Amino acid sequence: MAAGPYNYSYIFKYIIIGDMGVGKSCLLHQFTEKKFMADCPHTIGVEFGTRIIEVAGQKIKLQIWDTAGQERFRAVTRSYYRGAAGALMVYDITTFIVRSTYNHLSSWLTDARNLTNPNTVIFLIGNKSDLEAQRDVTYEEAKQFADENGLMFLECSAKTGENVEEAFLDTAKKIYQNIQDGSLDLNAAESGVQHKPTTPRNTLSNDQPQSKDGCAC
Amino acid sequence: MESSRDNHIKLQMRERESDYTNLQPYRIFCGTWNVNGQQASEAINEWLCPAEDSEPPDIYAIGFQELDLSKNAYIFSESVREEDWYKRIKEALHPKAKYKKVVKLVRLVGMMLVVFIRKGLELEIYDVMSGTVGTGIMGVMGNKGGVAVRFGLRDSTLCFVNSHLAAHTVEFERPHTDFKDINSRMLFGNRTISDHELVPCFFFFFSSENSLLFCSIVIWLGDLNYRLSDIDNDACKKLISDGRLQELMKYDQLVRQISQKNVFLDYLEGKISFIPTYKYDPGTDTWDTSEKCRTPAWCDRILWRGSNVGQLCYRSHMACKLSDHKPVSSIFESGIKVIDRAKQRQVYEDVMKQLDKWENEFLPQVEVSTMEIKFKDIKFIEQKKEILVVSNTGQVPVQFEFIPKPSDTNFCEPWLSVEPSKAVISVGAKCEVHLSVYVNKDTGPSLNSGKARIEDILVLHLDGGKDLFITVSGNYIPSSFSSSIETLVRMFKPVTDVETGSLIEIVSASTSLQHLILTIDQASSPNPSEDPPLDIPKEIWRLVDHLYKYGMEQDELFRQPGLHSEIQLIRDCLDQGKPRLLPGSVHSVAEALLLFLEVLPEPVVPYEHYDLCLHVCDNFTQAKQVLQRLPTSHRNVFKYICAFLRELLKHSASNFLDARFLGELHLNGHQSSRTAHQTRADHRSSLLCDAF
Repeated sequence: MAAGPYNYSYIFKYIIIGDMGVGKSCLLHQFTEKKFMADCPHTIGVEFGTRIIEVAGQKIKLQIWDTAGQERFRAVTRSYYRGAAGALMVYDITTFIVRSTYNHLSSWLTDARNLTNPNTVIFLIGNKSDLEAQRDVTYEEAKQFADENGLMFLECSAKTGENVEEAFLDTAKKIYQNIQDGSLDLNAAESGVQHKPTTPRNTLSNDQPQSKDGCAC
Repeated sequence: MESSRDNHIKLQMRERESDYTNLQPYRIFCGTWNVNGQQASEAINEWLCPAEDSEPPDIYAIGFQELDLSKNAYIFSESVREEDWYKRIKEALHPKAKYKKVVKLVRLVGMMLVVFIRKGLELEIYDVMSGTVGTGIMGVMGNKGGVAVRFGLRDSTLCFVNSHLAAHTVEFERPHTDFKDINSRMLFGNRTISDHELVPCFFFFFSSENSLLFCSIVIWLGDLNYRLSDIDNDACKKLISDGRLQELMKYDQLVRQISQKNVFLDYLEGKISFIPTYKYDPGTDTWDTSEKCRTPAWCDRILWRGSNVGQLCYRSHMACKLSDHKPVSSIFESGIKVIDRAKQRQVYEDVMKQLDKWENEFLPQVEVSTMEIKFKDIKFIEQKKEILVVSNTGQVPVQFEFIPKPSDTNFCEPWLSVEPSKAVISVGAKCEVHLSVYVNKDTGPSLNSGKARIEDILVLHLDGGKDLFITVSGNYIPSSFSSSIETLVRMFKPVTDVETGSLIEIVSASTSLQHLILTIDQASSPNPSEDPPLDIPKEIWRLVDHLYKYGMEQDELFRQPGLHSEIQLIRDCLDQGKPRLLPGSVHSVAEALLLFLEVLPEPVVPYEHYDLCLHVCDNFTQAKQVLQRLPTSHRNVFKYICAFLRELLKHSASNFLDARFLGELHLNGHQSSRTAHQTRADHRSSLLCDAF
């Protein structure tokens, strides 16, 4: 049997943060189950999901913590930021009702910056891109916010699945790139990355997975 | 968990192998010849490349038995015969193709196996291994046994076994034993075991994956030495000359044994359409004319195991005459697996996806009866209970635990207790978690003052899974108990009424203790802070007054404990200001007084003055000076209690109290943490009592 290496070589920890009702749990569900969860109840606590992905021929296990968005839990959910390699910061493109939402995003961003390590990849996700008619936040202004703060950015739809895969994978690629160029120290405490070297195989069959779909960054 | 995941993937990939595997046909020539120790004196093209084989094979696997019968062959690994025959083989390979050897050869005494592969295809083979098993003299010697070569070709593994099994018609069990021995002992190492190493091959066990069982195709050839049973020589030769080979085949031991599933299980053999290959007078096609005059037999056979193997021909070669055996050959067209990497990848992704899905489904899952627990009307030192039901709704057993929030060391506030704080729940089962709130003197003050509230978030952590936040809240009914003297003297109405904002007149009571003149003003202003404070908290007055009225003659006063339920009623009565008469026995009232003093956030003698008080307790004048330094309301309470104690002592004849006991009781009640100073403290109390 000559198939690719079965085990994963890294574990990346992700957190998903953002206001209540922006669709954090739906994004997680879409990513892990490829399904849209209608009538998703408010998360009261921290949900947990996992999926194995591949970046540059490396199997990576993502451990994703989806946090409660309600303000009253903010103090508690902050404790989950520690040791995250990736932070997905989600907002809802249809509810920029109050322009002060910028401040809201800023406050999430402040938390993310303060409570994670400097190399944590922060990815801004504008969810509900399927509701174009109700759009209240333009792509441009969010992109500008992302650029100003050095965030990666995509608009996604947890409902249609559009860009969901990309957001999770691009985050992983960026983390992997940080590992490769040495800016993320695997030995550092709370890097959010665990390295699991796979045992080398001794068959000389064509064991190496083709890495044509590898890291594009 | 992870290794079971790997195993599952392997299993799934194997099961779906056909989805991503193509079969590529390879032509394999197999030959076997017992040469009876004869020199390689004639060409063997007739055997290895007969005229009818127009198409060159991709692989040659050629086995010899009794290659060298000399004694030297047992002792030395080098053999002249070996070289001679090897040359003959090379000359006889199909001329339309060029061949390269897979391994030069593997030989055990007289058994030799040579494997060639068409030039160009050698790049497709890997992991070439060979092995030998001797089953001859002493069960290990190489006069009988087997040699084998195994290698990977594309995505299949091929194995060729050449064996010379033990002979004799009456002893046909022997070949079976040899077969089993070879099967179990043929384990391939990365090297060939030289024939003079009399070491059983199982010493060269590397891993069970290297045994014969794990090859996708096994071709077993050789002089298997099965004879014809239950038929005499003449009858046999008659059947042969009549061409009734299928009839004769019924007497073949191997055919019989295979049909009885005694040997070569799962192996196949093609239809034999050639006459027995044994035994001839060497150099002729004449049946054995020697003294023994052996009955002819199909000793030389080729069998195979594995899927996608098709036999193109199975034949003997009468033209090769130098031995008492005729050589046998067979050509197979066998489907070698070639994995389509892109398709394999697709299947692999599918399997992984399914597994990820399962992994998420197998995460621990629970349902809780409520995410918000509300306690109603929590009162000082009165336990309230609620139950949280945690049900395991997932597909795996769940271990849950309440874990502390990052800034905390305990998982819940001190007024809350949770039992059990961790447990394991089996699938479908439930666990009742008992939560109880109990406000005591440690937690009471901040709740009374409104600095703290009954609010907490419990983090219910599922081992290996998610966390749930359980919100605990409740309303606390403030009490005079555990409120400070300073607060109480400014509170003109019962505590429970303060929050409602309504004002209730507090009737100033004429003091029964005539030494102290209490001037408790009637509250008349909605802003109590503008009124002069009360001299002492009205609650203390009510408790003392009650004891003064009803308890002075009581035997065992302060020595006998009160009832907790009565103390709660007394608390309510003090906090609500009604009824006027305190409920319960005087013992309960006495204990309530002690409790009241004990749970004061700041003791009657405040902490900051405590050391000084101890210092001066032997000196009456200094003690009086220190007393003057206490805050007015504290000083008032102190004087008031002392006066009360003195009154009590006057009745010692009937209540059997003494100054020492009361001193201990009252002064240590609210300073219990300072027991080290007990002796001096009660000394002081006596002194002070005397002073008044």
